[in-house]
Amino acid sequence: MDYLLHIMILVAIYSIFAISLNLEMGYTGLYNFGHVAFFGIGAYASALLSLQGMPVWFSMVCAMMIAGGLGALIAVPALRLTGDYFGIATLVFAEMVRLFFLNERGLTRGPMGLPGIPRPSFIAEGVHGLPMYLVFCVILTILVFLVIRRVTTGPFGRALKVVREDEYVAQALGKNAFVFKIKAVTVGSVLAGLAGAQWAHYVSYISPGDFTLNETILVLLCVVLGGRGTNWGPVLGACAIVFFGEAVRFLPIPPDFGRFVAPIQGMVYGLILVVMMLKRPEGILPEYRSR
Amino acid sequence: MTYYLQLLLNGMVAGSVYAMFAVGLTMVYGVFRFINFAHGELIAWGAYLVLLFYLEPCSLPLYAAVVPALLVTVLIGLAQDRFVYKPLRHSSHITLLIASIGLSYLLRNAIRLIWGSDLMTYGLGLTRGISFAGLSITWIQIAMVGAALVFLGFLYILLNFTILGKSLRAVSDNMDLADIMGISMKRIGLTVWLLASVFAGTGGILLALDTNLEPMMGLTNLIKAFAAVLLGGAGNVWGALLGGLFIGIAENVGVAFFSPGYKDFISFAVIILMLLFRPRGIFGIAGGVR
Repeated sequence: MDYLLHIMILVAIYSIFAISLNLEMGYTGLYNFGHVAFFGIGAYASALLSLQGMPVWFSMVCAMMIAGGLGALIAVPALRLTGDYFGIATLVFAEMVRLFFLNERGLTRGPMGLPGIPRPSFIAEGVHGLPMYLVFCVILTILVFLVIRRVTTGPFGRALKVVREDEYVAQALGKNAFVFKIKAVTVGSVLAGLAGAQWAHYVSYISPGDFTLNETILVLLCVVLGGRGTNWGPVLGACAIVFFGEAVRFLPIPPDFGRFVAPIQGMVYGLILVVMMLKRPEGILPEYRSR
Repeated sequence: MTYYLQLLLNGMVAGSVYAMFAVGLTMVYGVFRFINFAHGELIAWGAYLVLLFYLEPCSLPLYAAVVPALLVTVLIGLAQDRFVYKPLRHSSHITLLIASIGLSYLLRNAIRLIWGSDLMTYGLGLTRGISFAGLSITWIQIAMVGAALVFLGFLYILLNFTILGKSLRAVSDNMDLADIMGISMKRIGLTVWLLASVFAGTGGILLALDTNLEPMMGLTNLIKAFAAVLLGGAGNVWGALLGGLFIGIAENVGVAFFSPGYKDFISFAVIILMLLFRPRGIFGIAGGVR
């Protein structure tokens, strides 16, 4: 039962993470392959602040602001690039952030990681706090989902899609494409920071190894599998990926073969990504397009 | 002074291998116009396959194990193209990039599945270096530079003095025009994947001889190769060569000035700076060999 709660909390956190990436990737067409950097920044910022004795809600808000601020700061130069080059630049940025976490031992304790990150004060520590933490995560996820749906189905979302389809058309219609992209990246980074902070306070121990290319691929998979540029797609993708990842543990695998589980899981993720690109690039829930 | 010269020498050794990776990556970019993220996995697979044929149950001698290992690496390279990139040839760059990221993840985890995640070596033991004027170099490192020279020399002859090489350059310059002129795209594609796989595989084997094997070696070296490609200007073979040398030297000499934990930062910084400020490369030989 506790395990089910654990899975549902992960789904809620990954949904926010995937929704934030979808805002950039699906709606605005910015292929951010370094989104995990903002997840990590949110996690580290919130963890460090709360370990200093700040209240958890305050650390989380600060973490979101820091992630968003950095996102905007990075976006200004990076948005000079388009398409795959933007993707590579953000991917490299994420690796730089990870190296920073790994090497600035004075701040982040390097590879030892940060243990003992507290939960919000109204949630009990340990297993007893799980139902409450789930409620907390689900409320945040629903809130994020509703806000993003409201924003993306409104004029702002339509403008983002025009920017994605054709920047010149957007500009001809009086929309400053650059500003729209900056806004999308900033909001995306704020939400990724939120997801990261939630995650850090949930698992209570983080280390630089948690924010690698693997996490980028996982969240990319959530968005691509679910359907880019849709509201439900990333949530569906997050459910599918988290449930698959956790279900593998229940397979009757002899203990000797335990070490094969993680690589096989990784191979399946890679394979899904390739097959989706080949057979159904629009994802399970395709974006509605009026012709 | 000798210290810096030694670092320079180490840098040139590392750089010659990076150059081999970068040349393959840039050739694929030049012809097919996308960044093959799975190129790094060819490096790792080359190295690990030698391990497969070298250890039990095959236990071939090391030099003989290289041949089947490279053959299989080439097959993997060709299979990448046949089953993933070819069906996607008319898709957007992003679709190809995502597919190649997925493919690289698949291949990397396959390595972890077969050989585990731990560091491995060929177990040749320590080799005694030779010294002159206070500098030392091992035979393996000499072999690395030698192999790079032989392979790149071969590539030079191929590109400049054979019809195949000339048509390859033509395709890289303008695919449609080359197609109209009756150059077989099939043959060119085959050649490019063959060359890229052999270069990546050989480089990976040499690197593993000098250091060790680990599943992430493909990705680490891909990033260095990519930095080299950007320095040279994407698609420019000789630029990539110089870029590789530059990255190798910069990394090793850089160790003298800041913490080795930030060694990889140099390639990252090069990638970001080049993308932002000089996307056409600085070693670009204008209008020259592409």
